[in-house]
Amino acid sequence: MILIHCPYCEEDRPEVEFTYGGEAHIARPLDPGALDDRQWETYLYIRRNPRGAHAERWRHAHGCARFFNAVRDTVTDRFEVTYKTGEPRPAGDTK
Amino acid sequence: MLEIAPMAVAGIDLKRGSQPITGAVYGLPVTLAPAAPLVRWSLRAKDAALLSVALGRTLPDRVGTHHDGIARLGPDEWHGLLPLGTTLPAVSGQPLGMVDVSARSVGFTLEGPGAVAALTRGCPLDVAKFTPGRATRTVFETVEIQIWCLAPDRFHVEVWRSFAPWLWHALAEAIG
Repeated sequence: MILIHCPYCEEDRPEVEFTYGGEAHIARPLDPGALDDRQWETYLYIRRNPRGAHAERWRHAHGCARFFNAVRDTVTDRFEVTYKTGEPRPAGDTK
Repeated sequence: MLEIAPMAVAGIDLKRGSQPITGAVYGLPVTLAPAAPLVRWSLRAKDAALLSVALGRTLPDRVGTHHDGIARLGPDEWHGLLPLGTTLPAVSGQPLGMVDVSARSVGFTLEGPGAVAALTRGCPLDVAKFTPGRATRTVFETVEIQIWCLAPDRFHVEVWRSFAPWLWHALAEAIG
């Protein structure tokens, strides 16, 4: 079982308490009406899907219920770092 | 407050659930019993100090702890377990959520030297590290629960009413 560090509970918690929330740091356009279809499609659907370090949202659904961000290696499934929503992706999180 | 039988769910009243069960896990005795009826509060606030003043109570600081009948489940969420008759203060015009949810969930107690082992049978947390004063939401097998550590060998388990019969049987199985 993977243990995930919840930045709000400040402890390592079992993976089954968490749900995945997709790629992190995707800001909603402030004025969607000004976007053309291709830009809106990019915002809605186009994701980086990297091989390696990936910043993504997770939710501690069966714990504190908060969303937070994590950098996870998509090859090894190892969580490099977790941080609170609103904080920038930590520098130097990739190997 | 609405009077509802402890485990009356969708027409099923599990009479078995009203009697304590004593069993053992790894030879360590443990008793599973329904908790006495309680008043439950769902408390939400971005500003903990504001909520504390509105309630006139000291709230637990750390997420995952309880104090004086109120547990801090998350940065902006608290859950109260208080004696029957406790009433919410009438507060208005404040950015707070204070709701009586007494009928939403039911409580069980697990007491005895085998209480930790019994919870560990279905809960992925390291319950042995739970000290008195800790309280958190987690899961038991597939059901969301809250566990409150009241003493090293005594736990209060909160579960939503509709899951209560299932959890009762799962815990009875765990200690059987």
